[in-house]
Amino acid sequence: MISSNRLSKLAVAMCAALPALVSASQTTTVQGLHDNSSSYVALQNATIITEPGKTIENATLVIRNGKIERINQNNRAPEGARVIDLSGHTVYPGFIDAYSNYGVPEPKKEQRGPWFSTRPEYSNKREGGNAANDAIHSQLEWVNEAASDAKAANDYIEQGFTAVQSARLDGIFQGQAVTLSLADKIANNVVYLAQGRHFGSFDKGSSQQQYPSSLMGSIALIRQTLSDANWYEEAQGKNAYNGPVEYNAALAELGPIEQEGMVFTVSDDKSLLRAHSVFSEFDVPVTFVGSNYEYARLDAIKETNSTLILPLNFPAAPEVSGVNDHLDVELADLRHWERAPGNAAALSAANIDFSFTLHQLKSASDFWPNLRKAVQHGLSKERALAALTTVPARIAGVADKAGKIAPGYMADLVVAEGDLFTDGSIKSVWLQGTEKELAPLRKADFNGSINATIANQEVVFELQGDDKVGGALVIGDARSKLRASRRDESSLSFVVDSDFAGVEGAWRVELEQTAERTYAGVAIGPDGRELSFEGRREAAAEQTNNGEGANVAATDYVSRLTYPNVAYGLDGLPERQNLHIKNATVWTADEQGILEDADVLVRDGKFYRVGQDLRTPSGYTVIDATGMHVTPGIIDEHSHIAIDRGVNESSEAITAEVRIGDVVNPDDIHIYRSLAGGTTMAQLLHGSANPIGGQAQVIKLRWGATADQMKFDAAPPSIKFALGENVKQSRYPSWLSTRYPQTRMGVETLMRDGFTAALEYRERMQAYEKLSRSERAKTAAPRPDYRLQTLLEILERERFVHAHSYVQSEILMLLRLAEDFNFTLTTFTHILEGYKVASEMAKHGAGGSSFADWWAYKFEVYDAIPQNACLMSEKGVLTSINSDSNDLQRRLNTEAAKSVTYCGMSEHEALKMVTLNPAKQLKVDQYVGSITEGKHADFVIWNNHPLSSYARVEQTWINARNYFNRERDQELRVALQEEKQALMQQVLADPSASKGAENGYKREQPSWHCDTEHDTWLQTFTAHSHGGH
Amino acid sequence: MKKLMTAVAAASLTLSAAAHDIVPGEPQQQPILLQGGTVYTVVNGVKEDTDLLLVDGKISAIGKDLATPEGAQVVDVSGKHLYPGVIAMDTTLGLKEIEAVRATEDSEETGAITPEVSGHVAYNPDSEVIPTIRYNGISHAQVVPQGDLIAGRSSLLQLDGWTYEDAGERLNVGVHVNWPRVGVSSSWWETRSPAEQRKANAEARKNLKRAFIEAKAYYDAKQAGELNGTDLRWEAMLGLFDGSGTLYVHANDQRQIQEAMTLTKEFGFDWVLMGARDAWRMADTLAEADVRVVYGAPFGLPSRHDEAFDQAFSTPAALADAGVDFAISYPGYWDVRNLPFAAGNAVAYGLDKDAALRAITLTPAEFMGVADRVGSLEVGKQATVVISAGDLLDPIGQNVEMLFIEGRMVDLNNRHLQLYNKYQQKP
Repeated sequence: MISSNRLSKLAVAMCAALPALVSASQTTTVQGLHDNSSSYVALQNATIITEPGKTIENATLVIRNGKIERINQNNRAPEGARVIDLSGHTVYPGFIDAYSNYGVPEPKKEQRGPWFSTRPEYSNKREGGNAANDAIHSQLEWVNEAASDAKAANDYIEQGFTAVQSARLDGIFQGQAVTLSLADKIANNVVYLAQGRHFGSFDKGSSQQQYPSSLMGSIALIRQTLSDANWYEEAQGKNAYNGPVEYNAALAELGPIEQEGMVFTVSDDKSLLRAHSVFSEFDVPVTFVGSNYEYARLDAIKETNSTLILPLNFPAAPEVSGVNDHLDVELADLRHWERAPGNAAALSAANIDFSFTLHQLKSASDFWPNLRKAVQHGLSKERALAALTTVPARIAGVADKAGKIAPGYMADLVVAEGDLFTDGSIKSVWLQGTEKELAPLRKADFNGSINATIANQEVVFELQGDDKVGGALVIGDARSKLRASRRDESSLSFVVDSDFAGVEGAWRVELEQTAERTYAGVAIGPDGRELSFEGRREAAAEQTNNGEGANVAATDYVSRLTYPNVAYGLDGLPERQNLHIKNATVWTADEQGILEDADVLVRDGKFYRVGQDLRTPSGYTVIDATGMHVTPGIIDEHSHIAIDRGVNESSEAITAEVRIGDVVNPDDIHIYRSLAGGTTMAQLLHGSANPIGGQAQVIKLRWGATADQMKFDAAPPSIKFALGENVKQSRYPSWLSTRYPQTRMGVETLMRDGFTAALEYRERMQAYEKLSRSERAKTAAPRPDYRLQTLLEILERERFVHAHSYVQSEILMLLRLAEDFNFTLTTFTHILEGYKVASEMAKHGAGGSSFADWWAYKFEVYDAIPQNACLMSEKGVLTSINSDSNDLQRRLNTEAAKSVTYCGMSEHEALKMVTLNPAKQLKVDQYVGSITEGKHADFVIWNNHPLSSYARVEQTWINARNYFNRERDQELRVALQEEKQALMQQVLADPSASKGAENGYKREQPSWHCDTEHDTWLQTFTAHSHGGH
Repeated sequence: MKKLMTAVAAASLTLSAAAHDIVPGEPQQQPILLQGGTVYTVVNGVKEDTDLLLVDGKISAIGKDLATPEGAQVVDVSGKHLYPGVIAMDTTLGLKEIEAVRATEDSEETGAITPEVSGHVAYNPDSEVIPTIRYNGISHAQVVPQGDLIAGRSSLLQLDGWTYEDAGERLNVGVHVNWPRVGVSSSWWETRSPAEQRKANAEARKNLKRAFIEAKAYYDAKQAGELNGTDLRWEAMLGLFDGSGTLYVHANDQRQIQEAMTLTKEFGFDWVLMGARDAWRMADTLAEADVRVVYGAPFGLPSRHDEAFDQAFSTPAALADAGVDFAISYPGYWDVRNLPFAAGNAVAYGLDKDAALRAITLTPAEFMGVADRVGSLEVGKQATVVISAGDLLDPIGQNVEMLFIEGRMVDLNNRHLQLYNKYQQKP
């Protein structure tokens, strides 16, 4: 009797009767009857958005055999097509996620016990032409493993996605992705592009191999692998010096990567720039899976000309509701909470292309709310749609068949009601011409006042709600609340206590919508009588949001955007100034010594004149430094600040190919803190976990600049060596110590072996150059080897060695080894027993860079003495004092002063140990290190004698730009407190602040020390002694 | 070599290459008159051109142109700076020789609650480290067991002894508590969720409180003669309840300090706050509650990313401004010799010079209950005197030429000087 019940029963029956269109492929034999159901469909009366910015109103979309046949602008449906009325609905192209692991198997989970329970693995198992490193899977083509997965597909389809580019997200080179339709069909029918992009990341993933253990190791491995791929293209099939060139599928597959391109995941803006650098060395185009930190370095990102894939996992706000929570909250995190949703808008404003991905979302259903948040933060709807359609279609290599609504394209569609980018909803998704219904196209609307006459009585049903409808029955002045309400697509039923026709009691009522404003109803009385009626609805209250126009950009941020975007960041690069510093005590650190009441002129970023009573040239800024002292900027030979994700590539004994320069972290607050201690230049060294560590990077502490801008390019290349306890793994349990060397004897032979190999490598290169054309056709070129190449640079005296060293025997060993190989050891760093072999060092020409007074923290420093620097200097060794500590780097002035305390060094010489002498050790003394005419204007203004306990830095300048200024620092302190309070108020006012990704912030880097051995990918510490070096 | 060894000092200094033949000074035999120095009394200001007379291990007179007693040894200290011996709190001197060599470490007992252990018991008076500490004018050190919650008891030792007994200035000066962690860490090595971290913090806090409740129950039962037997842990804490002992609470975070204030008040403990990095955030509260503070990070980095770069340096000045009773320590062992420079550094960041000196001399003595004997240059106090050619708190001034501890001339030779002298002779 009640129609809706009949309808729903019918619906169930129909579902059961219809065969699911899981069609067989053309090559599958038919079991049973042939399925020749019609696929000819016309979607009529629709608003069709064919691509971003192009809308056709009231048209008919014709699809057949899974593809779009045509768009009838005249809205006529062709004869024979099943017609679906989409009036009031919008059709979008199906969405594409260019970064997914849909349909491919998960990586094997290695069972790994706690650290120190598993022996380290230094090499992998070679099988089937794989790479020598287990993080490289480039030989895998994921099309071979792809299979449809209806359950996993649902998460995507419910958000409107119809296709994905997919690979297993594991390792550094993850293999070649496949672009798949999410249709529930056999794999053969869903492959849109068999060989898509190569996927990759810096994370070694499930690989248990030691190498790489650091970010710089991953970058070095990428560099070597891409170089190997180039080499292999030429070399395969030929003979190498030691036999036929091996078969290597991993390298072979990377051959055409310049055409195929990469999709590469990064964890932040800095790593995006790093990845860009290494891949552009090899002309590999890369699309980056971004982090939503891109807004923080927009200009640099823009310069890469990259396309991005953006996850929409905006971070949850830090907790601030507890009375002490502010103690644990960083300004940078609060800022990022506010601005991450605006990242897409910022990229869009900078005209950087991007697509969106479901990747990293904990729950797929967060996708649309977050996307709408991005729109609220100023992203245009057109760009948002492009990020779901045309842009990912391009990234996934299917722009010729998906991402648009056009004849010949796949019939992958999204049917929506309302504006998806504000509050619309997806009704159905069409995958290859087959509909997947998510919600009924039409649903009865019971919002409003429905007037009816029941048993000659005027009544009003006042109703509201969509899924749950509630309300009251109003008869004259009497109101009765409705209860037990339930609804389906077309009808609403409820119970109401009232009386009609004089029968009082609980009436059961059902309403069914018959047209936009009319309803048919039936009421069943307490006595079983049945009264039919008709109702008419008054106009409902106007809906508040019409979509267009409501799109006001929420770009009035409370937070500032600084460089770097952390507390104490600057608004931009400080301006370069011409200066006249007056009446200072000037510590020149050159032959002029210490000048009282002196003036310094700074012009065009350089020291121009030093003298007395100088005239102020016009346009110069005057600094009255009466009572103050001016010194050159302090230079630290040995620093580990500003390094991301690992100071040691601690895996193998020689890792000369890794570069600190690849992982400079310009956001490190210790840059600012060191400026506040007068330090302007630092050599960022690799740690001391292996005898031949990585390449060093000299930086100027240009706070606010990018990593590349901080690098001091004029510094010649250098490298870290290490000797003694750390490299022989003294603090490993003996049964884990399998790596050669384990003694100081072995350190010598390992280095000798490395240098010998480098020389033989050069010989092979030279021999190859001499080959005739015909000989070259048969002979493989020597494989470029970044590790040996770096060692060769040392032997060719183009790269300079800074060797971590303590005891006299090892110092002497390295001197003699260098002499055997005909190069000069540049600087011994730490060198705490340098005083024992100072004359030998001086004779060789090696410098020493020491701690002022550290000792006793391990056995090899038990003979360290605070008079070391004096003794070395006295014997003619070029001597400096370094920090190896982010705390000590802020007060190297008083560290140098300790040689005055303990052994009577002159104050002028003491200051030189942290200025001119380290400049010489870094071979940059022609540019910096003293206040000498023509050198860079890197200097510090002190309020007191610069070697005294009582001295404090007033200003620090680099290239005549003021990077630290005590007054500005005081202002920043106040400003950042205010900003933090304001942001916390924002969080407290936002009821949804706690929603979002956990751990959505950059993790704080530890204080790196020489001996911090840590696998940044496996998240394990190997060794780290408190206060160790 | 800049150290100007006086005749007296040179006599006791043997430049042998043999390791550690540095002999503790003999008890004072004759009066010593230090003539014409700049005397930093700590209590009565700085007196120029003033004499100091040391008799029988005590300061018997301070003044201008003191008469020379018969048989007195006269040392001309004109132009020199005279200070009371510096007292280093919160050290592991004598408990650690080489940090990375486990066999040479005796600083941390197993177990979370070990109040029964005493620092002096493992103190090695022949540690090569100790003479290098004296060399910078430090005469006394508080030797503190390290550990988890209740680490043990510290002792105050003078640094020129044959054994821990004759070095003992005051044994078992107090029980040390390391306050459990508070707050949540966002460091990448922290794998626990904020909720898990909070739970673990609360658990540790509960364990600590339980220990105090147990100790109190033991004390009460003992008073009433109701004990079944002896428990060395709670025996070690009896003094906290009868008012004879002091609790040293190592706490840095504001929340830890607040919790410690609440708990010590609840139990009525006599206590001293150690570490106290966040003390600047609550300086007025600490001053009002008369909390004694030993500030332990004079050379530290800021404890939080957003704090001012010099927060650790300027905290002593903030404490002084608020009127907090505070000392300065530089926890460690070999690096404790930098304590005078650390105090000097606090001056660069706003602390008054006299206050800086007091924070490493008299205030530590007061906190450890020995201010009647050491910590200042006053008549009647121990003849514990540092003689430096220049400003003790400044590396370009400090040059300790003599050190007297209770009138005994301390041999300033040390491993470093020995090696220095040896290798000066290498061709």
